Amino acid sequence: MNYLFDPDNWEWLTTGGNFRFILEGFLINLEIAVVSIILALIFGLALALLRLSSVKPVSFLAGAWVDIFRNLPLIFLILYFALGIPGSWKDAWEDAMPSWAPEAFQSGLVLGALMGLVFYNSAVLAEIMRAGILSLPRGQGEAASALGMTYGQSLRYVILPQGLRRMVPATVSQLITLNKDTTLVSIIAITEVMRRGRIVTSSGFFNPIEAPILHVFIFIGFLFVIVNYALSRLSRRLELRERKITGTKLKRVGGLEDQVAADPV
Amino acid sequence: MLGSAAPSLALIDTLTEHWAEFRSGFWVTVRLIVISFAVAMVVGTLVAALRIAPNKWLQRLGGIYVEVFRNIPLLVLLFISFAGLRRGGVDIGPWVAGIASLGLYTAAYVAEALRSGVFSVGKGQIEASLSLGFSYAETLRRIVLPQAFRTVISPLGSLTIAMIKNSAIIGVSLLALPDLLKQARIVQARTFETNETFFWAAIGYLLLTGAVTLLIRNLENRFAIRR
Repeated sequence: MNYLFDPDNWEWLTTGGNFRFILEGFLINLEIAVVSIILALIFGLALALLRLSSVKPVSFLAGAWVDIFRNLPLIFLILYFALGIPGSWKDAWEDAMPSWAPEAFQSGLVLGALMGLVFYNSAVLAEIMRAGILSLPRGQGEAASALGMTYGQSLRYVILPQGLRRMVPATVSQLITLNKDTTLVSIIAITEVMRRGRIVTSSGFFNPIEAPILHVFIFIGFLFVIVNYALSRLSRRLELRERKITGTKLKRVGGLEDQVAADPV
Repeated sequence: MLGSAAPSLALIDTLTEHWAEFRSGFWVTVRLIVISFAVAMVVGTLVAALRIAPNKWLQRLGGIYVEVFRNIPLLVLLFISFAGLRRGGVDIGPWVAGIASLGLYTAAYVAEALRSGVFSVGKGQIEASLSLGFSYAETLRRIVLPQAFRTVISPLGSLTIAMIKNSAIIGVSLLALPDLLKQARIVQARTFETNETFFWAAIGYLLLTGAVTLLIRNLENRFAIRR
C-alpha cells in the first residue's frame, strides 16, 4: 500500500511529457475504436440482411460466417491478420492512406488490426441487428407488403428504421468492449496506449525517470474506466428509454460479456 | 516423400507434426478456463451479495468493484497483476496472475448477471416470504435463488463463452503461459505455416465455444419455465 501511494512513485506523471504522451496514446485507441465500429456497422448490416435473406444458401452461409467469427477470440483474429496478410497489402494501405488521416493509421500494421477488429465486431453487430429486426412484430413486414411495397422498400421504410433503433443501446455496450479490445493491437506492435505505457516504464534518453509499471497501468486503466463508465451509463439510459417506448425487452446476443452487463435492473 | 506434399495434405501434416504443441496448448487453455470460471463464480457471487446487501455502503462497495473491473481492459489487468506487482515486490507467477485477472474481470459480469437474476424474482415473493417469518438469508436461499438460477443460466453461458475468447489474451501478452494461441504462435514462428497453424487453433477454440453453446442450450431447455 505504501508502495502504491508513495508520491515519489507518482512523480513520473508530472515529469517531462509523460502525461501527454500517455493521453495521446489513449486517443489513438479511441480513434481505432471509432473507425472499427463504423466499418463494423456497415459490414454488420450487410451480414444481418444476408442472414435474414429468404434464399436458403445465402442465409446459411452468412449464418455460418457470423457464428464462426463471433466465436473466435478477437486476439486470434488480430494476430492472424497481422501475420497472414501479405506485405504488399500493407504497402498498398500506406500508399492509399491520405496524409490528413491520423498518424496512427499511416502505418501498414494498422491494416491487420483493423481487419481483426472489423471481422469480429461486424459478426457481433450483425447478430445484434438481427435480434433488433426479429424483435419487430411480424405484422409490420406483412402490412408493408400488403400496402404494395417491395421487399427493398419495406426494409428501407418500415423494418430497418424500427429494428435498428432498437439495437442502439446494445451497440453502445458493444462499443465499450471494443474500446477495451483496442488495447490488444499493442501485441502487434502498434504504439497505442499500452505500448506507450511500456515506453514510459523503461528509462531512456528522453525519459530520465523510470516510471513504476504498476502505477502507469493503474493510470491507464483509470482512463478506460472513465470513458467506458460514461458509455455504460449512456447505454443503460438508452435501453430504458427504448423499453418505455416499445414495451418489449430485447433478446440478448449470446457469447458477449457486455451484453450481459448492460441489462438494467 | 518426394518434394512437396499436396496442398490439401499440408493442413493435416501441420497437425500431426505439431500435435504435441497443439494438445498441450489446448489443455492449458482448458485448465485456465475451468479455474478462472470457478474464481469468477465465487467472487461474482460475493460481489452480487454485496450489491443486494441491506446496507448502503456494502452496496456501494460492490458497485465500485463492478464498474472498475468491467470497464478496464483485461490486458491492463494482466500488466498490473504480473509485471506491475512483480516490480512492486510481490512474487506472483504467470498462472496466478492470469487466472486472477481473467477470474476477477469475469466476476464483475457474473455479479451483474446474478443480480439481475435475483431481481427477476418478483418483489412480492420476497415480501411474502419475509412476512411469513423467513429470515433474510432463508428467503434468499429458499425462495429467490432457486428461481433466479433459471434466468441466470443463459447469461452465465454467454460469460463462459466470452471467457474462453478472453483467455487467449493471457498467453500471447506478456505472460509466459503456453496456451493454445501461444502454441500456435510458436509453431507459426518456427514453420511460417500461418494459415495451417491458425486453422487448427481456430478449430480448438471453436470446439470449446461450440461445446459450451450446446451445453447451455441443453440446460436452458431442461430448466425452461413452462407456462
